[in-house]
Amino acid sequence: MSDAPLVSIKNLHANAGDTPILKGIDLELRPGEVHAIMGPNGSGKSTLSNVLVGKPGYEVTQGEVSFQGEDLVDMDPEIRARAGVFLAFQYPVEIPGVANNYFLRTAVNAVREHRGEDELDAIDFLTLLKEKMKLVEMPEDMMSRAINEGFSGGEKKRNEILQMLLLEPSFCILDETDSGLDIDALRIVANGVNQMRSPDRTMLVITHYQRLLDYIVPDHVHVLSGGRIVKSGDKSLALELEEKGYGWIDGVEEEGVA
Amino acid sequence: MSAFVDAIARAREGLSDRALETPSATLSTRLATLRNEGLAAFDEQGLPNRRDERWKGTNTAKLADLPLDCVGPGVDFDEAVLDELFVADFEADLLFVDGRTVRSSADRDELPKGVLVLSLEEAAAEIPDLVAEKLGALVDLKTDALAALNAGLFEDVAVVSIASNTRPGRAIRILSLSTSAPEASRASFARLLVVAGSGSEAMVVLESATVGQAPGFASIVSEFHVAENAKLISAEIQSGSAERVQVSQIHAALERDARFASNVLCLSEGLVRSEVDATMNAPGGRVGMNGLFLGRGDSHHDHFTTAEHAAPHCESDEEYRGILADSSAGVFRGRVLVRPDAQKTDARQSNPNLLLSEGASIDTKPQLEIYADDVKASHGSTIGQLDEEALFFLRARGIDEATARLVLTRGFAQTFVDGLSDESTRALVADRLDEALTALETAPGEPSA
Repeated sequence: MSDAPLVSIKNLHANAGDTPILKGIDLELRPGEVHAIMGPNGSGKSTLSNVLVGKPGYEVTQGEVSFQGEDLVDMDPEIRARAGVFLAFQYPVEIPGVANNYFLRTAVNAVREHRGEDELDAIDFLTLLKEKMKLVEMPEDMMSRAINEGFSGGEKKRNEILQMLLLEPSFCILDETDSGLDIDALRIVANGVNQMRSPDRTMLVITHYQRLLDYIVPDHVHVLSGGRIVKSGDKSLALELEEKGYGWIDGVEEEGVA
Repeated sequence: MSAFVDAIARAREGLSDRALETPSATLSTRLATLRNEGLAAFDEQGLPNRRDERWKGTNTAKLADLPLDCVGPGVDFDEAVLDELFVADFEADLLFVDGRTVRSSADRDELPKGVLVLSLEEAAAEIPDLVAEKLGALVDLKTDALAALNAGLFEDVAVVSIASNTRPGRAIRILSLSTSAPEASRASFARLLVVAGSGSEAMVVLESATVGQAPGFASIVSEFHVAENAKLISAEIQSGSAERVQVSQIHAALERDARFASNVLCLSEGLVRSEVDATMNAPGGRVGMNGLFLGRGDSHHDHFTTAEHAAPHCESDEEYRGILADSSAGVFRGRVLVRPDAQKTDARQSNPNLLLSEGASIDTKPQLEIYADDVKASHGSTIGQLDEEALFFLRARGIDEATARLVLTRGFAQTFVDGLSDESTRALVADRLDEALTALETAPGEPSA
């Protein structure tokens, strides 16, 4: 593991709309590390992930985020994605009329072009796609269907992980990817994520439940509350939270208040 | 008198009887009747205007003021022009230029078995009685000024006949071009007659396109006779340059247990009036009406459809999708007419619209006229913009914004494309559509980053 952080977040303040949500976040994520962020509802977990990928409607008001030494805040979302930032969405959107395989190939080629690699033609892409689909146990007919249309909750999340496997980002953010999944689906999703673990890749796993961390074992666990990181520790912190809740940590605001 | 009516009046003075002379007395009489009744009915009605309920959404001044130098087909058409056109890859069984057959499938071996594709002259020699019986039978000249004008001035007809109980292995393709040039702006009148015998199953593709940028007028009237238990699918691709006024009127009549599906892809950049009127005359008829219109620049598309349920146990299902960019305007009127006898009617209609710019507009209205009491009828229209969440999702996967907009717009149109069962027609439609979509300024195809 290298000492230079891949992602460096300093004193990050951000609004969702006009409401201040993040109130000074500091995080250093090094290559090879898996960081988990836990916290009560409304603590700012999803705002953090949305700010990192540049979703319209979220505004950085103070502080900075750098990725591979470059300022991330002013980059367009597509530029961030091509540079290697990836968010597995909490609520993947359904897009009628746009076939999954067509979308995936367009995305893969956009990223490849940025990396100076050749475009994949339909046949090469299909080979790659089939290989990655096996990792998340997705049936082939899901590829010709419209993006996420009529997919179950678990299928949508698997589709997110499939996109991650195909785009091979260096910074993977998983926003409550485990929410609403049964154990089987969780195992499949976690398998996909674990395939991606590598010494030059960083993962930020945002979750509400400790259960996910049995499958994706983090190096660091942070507790987010009221828009700040109030406690950090190793994986044992997650177990402690599972057992005792958030109340015992200094600075944690009551659920629903923040 | 308006410039348009004036030009028509001048053209009538020079109208020859030549087109009416055929080897068949029956057909000649029919043609003369259509001409005389058509011209008389046009004189009676004049050009349509907004006082007519059916033309509420469209300002016809552009048509009335159209400067015209010539009416009807010109002298010679240079087929080399085809190579210059985007339509070059469209292998037509019959090529119409300014309402006259330039090439028909002389080599019958190229046509599927059981199918005839003929010019009026050829049809007069081979199937005169059928043409005399069916031509003009579905059009009410007294209430339709533009159809009347077409009846009065057409010189040729593309005739397609499909024998009973046959199923051609491929779609029948008609290409209709209308030319116009500076100093020679033209009005042309084309005509298509399709007769599908009982139990037959066929698809007819009509592509109408314009040659030249000069102002001009093109009218095409298509009649589809669908006999008992036959299935006929029509696909019409309309494209045209900005200064053109194009009128397409489709009439279909269905006998017992017949099926007819009309698919209209309208990409014209000028003023378009597109009508589809299907009448279910006997029980068991089923009509599908699918449309996709793409407005851009200052184009004006007026889509007027009528599903007439004249018998019980018939079904109609309609979906027109509108995409409006730039400062284009769209009009959709979906009329569903259920006659008193037409019990157990099932009629569905929807008109989703996508507005791609603030200057674009859509005027949409269903028009249900139901005179039977045991009827299921539904309709709905929506107007929306591209989904911002979907747009962001695509960008978050590395796709630039312009391409993402294009992908979503194409996605909106996909239902129409997927509705075409014939593979080669689907590919043709997808090609034409893609070409038009990538040319949109609001959704350019070239990645911007």
